[in-house]
Amino acid sequence: MYQGNKKYTNGEITVFWYPKKCIHATHCYRELIEVFNPGRRPWINMNGAPTKEIIRVVKLCPTQALDYKYNNEDANIQKSGDQSVAEKMVAEARIMKNGPLVLKGDFTIIDADGKEIKHHKTSLLCRCGASKNPPFCDGTHSKTGYLGN
Amino acid sequence: MEIENKSGVKTPEVKILKDGPIILKGFFRFRTSSGEETEKEHEILLCGCGKSGNKPYCDETHKKNVIKS
Ligand code: FES
Ligand code: FES
Repeated sequence: MYQGNKKYTNGEITVFWYPKKCIHATHCYRELIEVFNPGRRPWINMNGAPTKEIIRVVKLCPTQALDYKYNNEDANIQKSGDQSVAEKMVAEARIMKNGPLVLKGDFTIIDADGKEIKHHKTSLLCRCGASKNPPFCDGTHSKTGYLGN
Repeated sequence: MEIENKSGVKTPEVKILKDGPIILKGFFRFRTSSGEETEKEHEILLCGCGKSGNKPYCDETHKKNVIKS
């Protein structure tokens, strides 16, 4: 795991921060500066608000740069039950200009022989034809200067 | 095999043809690089070879690039 990743806990839940995923959408600190304050170190203060409020704001993060877990296992099982309902939302396929196809949500990816390919919740599929890890994008498109709407 | 999720919508399928298009089939939201969005039952052939003249769609160019030996 990338070293810059951080976790913060208040004893009840742990909030994870994945800086690489952060696109600075600013939802977190505009909603709850008492907890998420980029001007302070550590920038997340888990005592700044009640757990429920922290969870609400973590869920607003559009890129999952923020995530959380209950420290208590039973509560996590409950959480994943709630989440699977939310995640049944419409799947999304998005074209990234000069880059891959981004798939989000529930998709079944199959190869030419009809075999299912395992993939992550968010998958980047190569469109440039040059990836060394097809069908996924491995970043080669930016080296080859692939152009494509 | 058809998988149904809780809302009764079938899981969309993505079929990858070797050195050819990426076929997207089912109900999903499709967003182009210019930001147009359509949310419906789709069947789209996207270029996966990188050579289409009509990206993001496949225009069959991939067939011309097959080197016959
Ligand atoms: S699109 Fe990224 S490697 Fe081909
Ligand atoms: S996959 Fe058909 S033109 Fe590229």
